Order: sequence, then C-alpha cells, then structure tokens
Amino acid sequence: MNLKSSNSSFSAESIQKQGNGFLGVEWGTYIKAFFGGNAFVAMFVLALITLFLFKEGVGFFPQYRKDMELYRASGQEFVGLLKTELDDYDELQQQLGKVQVSILTDLYAEGKEWEEVTALTAPFQASLDQTSSAADPLRQVVKKAIDITSEAKEAVVVNNTRREITGVDLTTLMNEEQSAAFLKSSREQIIAMMPEIEAANDMFLENLLAAQEAMPELNLSPDAKKEMLIYEKGLKTFLDSMTKFDDKLAKYDPEKPFTFLQTLGGFLFGSQWTTNSSWQDFYGIWPLLSGSLLVTLVALSFAIPFGVFAAVYVNQVASSSEQNIIKPYIEFISAIPSVVIGFFGVAIFGTFIRTLSEQDFLAWVPFFPISERLNAYTAGCLLALMAVPTIFTLAEDALNNVPKAFTEASEAMGATRWQTIWRIQIPSSLSGIISAVLLGFGRVIGETMVVLLCAGNQIAVPELSKGLGIVFEPVHTMTGIIAQEMGEVVPGSIHYRALFCVGIFLFFLSLLINYIAQAIVRRYKISAG
Amino acid sequence: MSNESISVAAPQSTRPASDTSAAKTLIEVDNLDFYYGKKQALCDINLEIPEKLVTAFIGPSGCGKSTLLRCFNRMNDLVDVAHIGSGSIKIHGVDINSKNVDVIELRKRVGMVFQKSNPFPKSIYENITYGLKIRGIKKKSYLDEVVERSLRGAALWDEVKDRLHDSALGMSGGQQQRLCIARAIAVEPEIILMDEPCSALDPIATAQIEELIDELKTDFTIVIVTHNMQQATRVSDKTAFFYLGKLIEYDDTARLFSNPDNKQTEDYITGRFG
Ligand SMILES: Nc1ncnc2c1ncn2[C@@H]1O[C@H](COP(=O)(O)OP(=O)(O)OP(=O)(O)O)[C@@H](O)[C@H]1O
Ligand SMILES: [Mg+2]
Repeated sequence: MNLKSSNSSFSAESIQKQGNGFLGVEWGTYIKAFFGGNAFVAMFVLALITLFLFKEGVGFFPQYRKDMELYRASGQEFVGLLKTELDDYDELQQQLGKVQVSILTDLYAEGKEWEEVTALTAPFQASLDQTSSAADPLRQVVKKAIDITSEAKEAVVVNNTRREITGVDLTTLMNEEQSAAFLKSSREQIIAMMPEIEAANDMFLENLLAAQEAMPELNLSPDAKKEMLIYEKGLKTFLDSMTKFDDKLAKYDPEKPFTFLQTLGGFLFGSQWTTNSSWQDFYGIWPLLSGSLLVTLVALSFAIPFGVFAAVYVNQVASSSEQNIIKPYIEFISAIPSVVIGFFGVAIFGTFIRTLSEQDFLAWVPFFPISERLNAYTAGCLLALMAVPTIFTLAEDALNNVPKAFTEASEAMGATRWQTIWRIQIPSSLSGIISAVLLGFGRVIGETMVVLLCAGNQIAVPELSKGLGIVFEPVHTMTGIIAQEMGEVVPGSIHYRALFCVGIFLFFLSLLINYIAQAIVRRYKISAG
Repeated sequence: MSNESISVAAPQSTRPASDTSAAKTLIEVDNLDFYYGKKQALCDINLEIPEKLVTAFIGPSGCGKSTLLRCFNRMNDLVDVAHIGSGSIKIHGVDINSKNVDVIELRKRVGMVFQKSNPFPKSIYENITYGLKIRGIKKKSYLDEVVERSLRGAALWDEVKDRLHDSALGMSGGQQQRLCIARAIAVEPEIILMDEPCSALDPIATAQIEELIDELKTDFTIVIVTHNMQQATRVSDKTAFFYLGKLIEYDDTARLFSNPDNKQTEDYITGRFG
C-alpha cells in the first residue's frame, strides 16, 4: 500500500509558496486587514461622530447671534421687556385665582348653596375683576407694539430666506441695507410710542394700587390665608420690579450690537428654552442643565450610599452564601431595559410617591403634598436604581483589590472590623470608589429614556426658593430634550443646531468629570504596593 | 554530614546566654488540638513560653508553626474554617479563648509582625500611630512622643526622622519590616509574635532585625518562627521543633542544637530533611 501521497516528497517545488489567495494577495494579508480594519473603523467612526457633532453644533452660534440681532433691531427685545412684565402679572393673577378657589372650596365644604356662595363672595369677585383689568391699558399698547415688531421681523426673515434660496439679489427683495432700514423704521415706530407706553404703564400702576385699596376685608381659612400670603409677597416684588422697569426701559439701546460673548452667555446661562414660538425662540441651556443636575443629584445621593455600602457589606461582612445571592441580584438590575424602569416609574412609582405625600402622617414635611407625579425625584430614584449596579460592582472590585495583608495587619493591631473597613479598606480603595462614583455619574447624566418618561418634561429652571422641595419639581433634561426634539427639527435650522450644541455641552461635561476624577485620584492616590 | 551538624550546633553568637530556667512562664499551651475544617493542623501541643525571652519555632514547611503562632493572638479567628478542637492557651493564666476575653484587648497585648512586611499605604507617622488612634488617642504631643520612642526602639529613627510624613511604601524592604516592628511596639504589647520576619530580606537587613530582636527582649516576650537554623541559634533562648503538627522537642536553644534528644530533631537541624 502506498502510504505516501505523491506530493509529499520534499522538493523545491513543494515548499514553494502556493498561490493561495485572491488577486495575487495572500489570505493572511486579508485576515490581518480585516482585524486591523475593524479597529480602524471603530476609531474612524468615533472621530467622524465627534467631527459631525462639532460641525453641526458650532454653526449654532453665528446663527443664534444673527437671530438675536434681528430680535434687537426690530425692537422686539424692547417690547419683550413689557411683555415679560405682563406675563409676570398674569402669573400673579393666577395666584389670586388660587385664593379664590380656596375660599370657594371652604364655603362649599360648609354646605352652603351656590346662590349663597355667590352672594358672599361678590365683593371679592368684584375686586378680582378690577385687579385683572388693571393691566388692560398696557395690554392694548403692548399688543400694538408686538404686532408692529413681529410683522417687521417676520418680513425680514422671509425676505432673507428667499434671498438665500434663490441666491440672487432679486430686485423685488430687500438687500441688507434696505432690510436694516426697514427694521429701523419698525423700531422707531416703537420709540415714537414711548409716551403712550409710559402713560399706560403709569395707569396700570395706578389701577393696581386702587384695586388693592378696594380689596374687601376677608375672613380667610388657614389654607386660603397661606395662598393669600404668597400672593401678597408676589405683589410686593412685582411692584418693586415695576419701579425698576422704568429704569430698564430708559436704559434700553436698540442700536447696541449683539456680541458673540452675549450669544455664548445667552446659550450657557439663558434661563429660557423656547422653541417654535410665534414671538422669538430662545435657546438657553440652563433650564435643561439644571434639570439634569438636579436629577443626577437625587440619583447619586441614593446610589452612592447604596452602592458603596452594599459593596462594603458584600465584600467585608457577608458570608459566602449571602454573597452568592446579593451579587448576582444587584448585577441583574443592570439587565433591566431602561424603558421598563421608566415605565415602572410612570405607572407605579410616581403615583406611589404622590399618594404617599398626601398622607396625613407626612403632613409635617414642608413641601408635601406634591402636585406633580412625574418630577426630578421620581426620575432620580429610578436612575439611582440604574446607577447602583455600576457603583456597586466597581466599588466591590476596588475593595477586593485591597491587599489582604493590610487587613491582617490592621486586625493584628487590635482594630475592630469596622475600624479596619473605615481606616484601611475604604481609604486604600478610595481611588477605585471615586472612579466608580464618577462612572455612576456618567451613567446617570447620559441616561435618556427614564428622564424622558419620568422627569415631567417641564422646561423651567427649578426655583431654589422652594428649598428641598425643589426635587419635586418637574424638570426637563439635556438628554431628554435631544431625544424629544431631534426628530421634529428641520436639519440645518437653528433649533437643530442648538440641539447639537446641547450634545457638545454634554460631551464637554463628561470630559470635565473625567478630568476631575483623574485629578482627585492623582491627588489622593494610595498605591496598594 | 556529621561535620555540618557540628558547625550548626556550635553557638554562633557570642552574647551571653540568658538564664532560661529562672524565667517565669507567660504563655501556657495545654493539650491543644487545632483544625482547619476536618483537617487537623496541630495535635496535642503542650508548651510553656517564658517571659522576656526569645522562643523560636522551627520545623519543615506545613508543620503548623504559623498556625500555633496565630493562635496566640487569635488571628485564626479570621479564617472561617479554623477552630480549636480541645485544649487551651493561657496567657498570665487566663484562657484567651474563653468567652469573656475581648480579642481586641488581647491583640493589643500580643503584637504581630508578618513574613511579608505590610505597612499601611499611609505615612510613616500614621503607620506608627494607627494602633493608638484606633483606641481613640488623639493627643498630638503624646503621639509624637510614641512615634519617636517606637522608631528608636526599632532602630529606624535616624533613617526616617526627616521624612515621617512620607509614604511608608517608599521605604526599602528592611526598613518596612522594621517599621512594622515599630508599629507593633508602639502600643506597648507584652508579647511580639514574628512569623519569618526576615525571609524576604537580604543579609544586612536580616542582621539589623536580629540585633533589634536582641534589644527588644529586655522589654518584650518574643516568639519567632524561622526556617533559618543559624537565625534560631543566634536570636533565641528556647527553641521548639515541630513536625507534622506535633511538638517533637522543646528545649533551651543551645541544648536543642548541640544535643537533641530526638532523632527527628537531629535529622532536621542537620539538614537531612525539611
Ligand atoms: N487557611 C487555611 N485553611 C486550611 N488549611 C490551612 C490554612 N492555613 C494553613 N493550613 C494548613 O495547616 C497546616 C499548617 O500550616 P502552617 O501555615 O501553620 O504551616 P507552617 O509550619 O507555618 O509552614 P511554613 O513554614 O510553610 O510557613 C498546613 O498543612 C496547611 O496546609
Ligand atoms: Mg508559616
């Protein structure tokens, strides 16, 4: 039997490279290219994303600046001041409305009939009407001013868009100079209205004070009194700001250029995020940023103690059978899809917290009962749930990495287990624990689904004056706003670019957190030699 | 082989031998059986360790030297499966395993130095004051005093007095081990247990530690585990030889090395096994 196959004999030919390959290139080269290519693609995509983010985002600033310049040049900014005054006044009226509701509720609770109630509250109702109509003269003037300026701006915007689209200076369209002149005429119209405005404003003040005088002496229940006090406080600040208003109006200079720094400041510190408004869009990140930070704060204030203490317990105290239960359990939490957690928050947890806050035995808590089911607290609690596994796992690793020799030495010195944990284990693993916490922070601030579902999505800067109750305010977040609005915006529009800028801001925030983390770790580094 | 036995047996150190017969017994081990789970690590140990002398434990690897040493400050409590089968260990006549003994207080009186130096990842100063701080002593002047006294006691003061607040991990291996000794003596124990304290050190650092042990014995009772016969003869007054969890022979060091009663002891110290 021939055991040797014919080509197994050693010859120059047999050891020559076989022509195995494709297009004259060996397979090995392809394989190498494949693996290298994957790494390259990953890096390339990352670079592309970063580049794209910046390319789309940076264009926001010149565009926003132009927009704000138009806002100023048309005189809208000036009218805006008046508009704010009226908006503030409306808010004040709403507070008075709450007083009314409170009074009515009390009366009906006493078992009185509708007619009797109407008769009883007639004087208050009258003064209510008087207060609300106090602003009417100013409202009329402002409405006129709004119409003039809005129309002028609208015309210029449409004109500019058409010029951009056609790309030619059609004679039917205004050029830059012409539109500037056009805006100026609108502005001047407003300035010409100045005496009229001032007179209206004075009358408003007069009416308001008169209405205040005419307010009947009321016999209020404690609840109603509380609302009334809020109203009176609000009225006082309003009257104060009204006197300052005159100064503001006098100082206003429509010719002042809108600088780039102002644009940047308007984005970073602007307290309004208003889009698709018939008046003027504002892109201030502050309400979103403060919302994100508030939610994160709530989440971390739960997740850090839970995560770290659970890690200490599992690592130091638990028996191995306890470890075998607790560890997989906590790690399992991270397997729950965030939408499910969000759904749980909407359907169960939010309602639960609100119902809890309405219980009588919790009435002593100053900000209870809460009015909104979905708020920063609800979202924060659920995000804490998501951050705990991250913090727990990493902190546990860090504790595990503390050499056993340290523990032994400490116990041999006569330290109790808790002293050893507190003085040796935790300090030795501090850098690991800090990085665990920061990764938890990153997890929370970048999380979208839960905040979108549970944070209440109200674009407003939470009011610090509420004290700790601030955490029960509905908020909107940076991630939430991107997810919510990105689908609807026109690519290339200023709104679209503003969302990208929010993305860039998130990007820089993560960078900053990372940097701080490393700095802290370097500063407190305890090498476990 | 026989000439080697002679060279080992000849006392290497020139220091005057302490009078071991007059010394009072400090640690008393009676019929001790010790287990790791089902596995017996020590059987029927009877041993009396005298006060203010150095006692050495020798024996082949795995014979239970460390286990017995760690019984004296109950470090075996940290091992889940470890437990005493029967017998007792008494210090000053008090059974240290009885229920009303506070292990924390026990460890304050029985310090320990480990094979691998293990200073805490803190400054030299904090390492020494650790034992005092966990007992709530905060007075700066007192701590300063203890630091100096302990470092001088461990023959380390001159080397580190200018960098007390540097990390202890920046020291050499020998310095770290002496720091661990200083840390142990800072709380003024009565007994210092040393488990192969020189096994990771070079000859010069070893000589320094041995010299130190010699000085320390005026104030402390020292029990040292060593694999080095010469070291045992140089530093100890009494020596115990263990084999397979049993105490084979226990005698004055000079006598045990020059004229062992037991064949196994002789075989071990002459290097025929181990
Ligand atoms: N934590 C433990 N769990 C189970 N068995 C152990 C444990 N520690 C030691 N042993 C066993 O107990 C016996 C005695 O160990 P011990 O460490 O006391 O020996 P040793 O004489 O110190 O040895 P060496 O000279 O190598 O340090 C050995 O058989 C060892 O395997
Ligand atoms: Mg040992």
